[in-house]
Amino acid sequence: MSDKKKGLKRLVEFMYDRLPMHKFNFEHIVLEKEVPVHRMSWAYYLGGLTLFFFMVQVVTGIFLLFYYQPTVSDAHASIEYITKYVNNGFFIRNLHTWSSSCMILCLVVHAITTFAMKAFAPPREMIWVGGAAMLILTFAFGFTGYLLPWHQIAVNATKVMLQSIEESGHYLPGFLSGVPHYMRELIQGGSVVGQATLSRFFALHVVILPLIVFGILAMHLLSVQLHGMSQGVDTLPKKTEKFFPFFILKDLIVWGVAFLGIFILAVCVPFESFYAFPLFQAYNALGATPEGIKPEWYFYFTYYPLELLPFWLVMIGMIVTGTVLLLTPWIFKNTSRRMLTIIAWAITAYLVITTLFGNVILELVKGVKS
Amino acid sequence: MRIVFSLLLSTCLFSSMAMAHPEYLQYFKKESGRPINCSMCHMDPEGPEGIKPDQIGGLSKEEKKMLELARKARPGDNITNPILNLFGNEILNTIGHDKLVELEKDPGEIPKLLSKTSDLDHNGIPDYQKLLDGTDPLNPNDGLPWKLFKINFMKNWFQIMMTVLATISGVFGLCYTIIWFSIRTKKEFK
Repeated sequence: MSDKKKGLKRLVEFMYDRLPMHKFNFEHIVLEKEVPVHRMSWAYYLGGLTLFFFMVQVVTGIFLLFYYQPTVSDAHASIEYITKYVNNGFFIRNLHTWSSSCMILCLVVHAITTFAMKAFAPPREMIWVGGAAMLILTFAFGFTGYLLPWHQIAVNATKVMLQSIEESGHYLPGFLSGVPHYMRELIQGGSVVGQATLSRFFALHVVILPLIVFGILAMHLLSVQLHGMSQGVDTLPKKTEKFFPFFILKDLIVWGVAFLGIFILAVCVPFESFYAFPLFQAYNALGATPEGIKPEWYFYFTYYPLELLPFWLVMIGMIVTGTVLLLTPWIFKNTSRRMLTIIAWAITAYLVITTLFGNVILELVKGVKS
Repeated sequence: MRIVFSLLLSTCLFSSMAMAHPEYLQYFKKESGRPINCSMCHMDPEGPEGIKPDQIGGLSKEEKKMLELARKARPGDNITNPILNLFGNEILNTIGHDKLVELEKDPGEIPKLLSKTSDLDHNGIPDYQKLLDGTDPLNPNDGLPWKLFKINFMKNWFQIMMTVLATISGVFGLCYTIIWFSIRTKKEFK
């Protein structure tokens, strides 16, 4: 057999192991599939919960689309109109905002627990890579959606983020140094953040990113169904439960509780009340930039290090993190679950500290109130 | 040219009268710990000085007359100052212009002099409290989150209870449909 044929055979075998389509039948998925029961079983519900919040995002996003105007002159006014005059507009918008935060929170916890449980071990590598890609895409959803209301914090925070991309050019050699500038202009659609930027972010947020996510999500869910839940712990679990109906029933109850949680939050607490009101006034290109411009809370893990550390260091950190995230199944192939759990706790500690206490640390180190 | 001319004219005419009050802003910013801006009381977020339509330099003849009247406002009057928003006018008409200027040295007294029941945005948090909290008295969706949660929960408790009941019923119904389906499939595939 020639090398070319051998390579092709290996590729087909690899794909067959990763996507065992012979298991795609009623017997396997409904009658035979079992879920291990152990101390980490709660983590099996996080993926479904993320999916639930994503569905809420899609439904509320469609409702918002009926009224939202993606132009710099009308975007803010249309958001005001939705909030003040559209029937239940305030509730729908608030539900969209709260569920986006809940989705990101669940997704991050899902990724960390999946990592700690070594659920990326063969033959589940592609499930991990798909999930990691969706994590990155979800942050892209957050980034693009943040600009759409076209208020002070949205436009100014986007400017800061785009400026960071451009700054990375200073640390790149030769012709590569011009790439970030080109990237910035490509994202921005011009020399400044304006109508072209809003149009691009709108298209990305409501068409391009959802289409990509739907594709990856379908593959992710199909793979999970074909392979079943990973063992998750070192010793073989003594107990298992049927995926259908017991796990699905519990999943449904968790979704019900999650729905009630975000319903109460959306009715009672406007998400914007956590920020100072001048940040939500219409963006004025000629006016002064209000205090307290920051990205959304789920970007604090990069925002505060950017404020505290040299830019090049954070940039290297981000590139390394992104690479490790995508190559996790191969990098940690031989790492024990115990070690993975320690790393997962360290990541959790970092995320919690930077998100909850980043401003306090910044104040202590630099004496600046963020 | 017209803009420059009107800016110069307004500066000459109103330089003695234009009274931006950074003391108030600085005081409530410090007390509340929230970055606020002039739009808490003024029509324009940048404050009263300037040539935009709601700023001193951009006022029409009639509005300038109203501004003059507002500068003589006494407690209990019902005067509309064109550079102030609804809340700014409420402060002006409750306290009076002279007292307000006097309180520049002690802005902490302003909330004490305001009505304890007035709530311009009808969200349940009185205006004086919003001033102390550094939140927008004219935006019903702005307020300290915990306060808004308590008020909105009490206001919407019936809808919340109905939704809880509907969700429980829905989940209960779906669960039993799944259980029924599971029993049927087991029977079919035995």
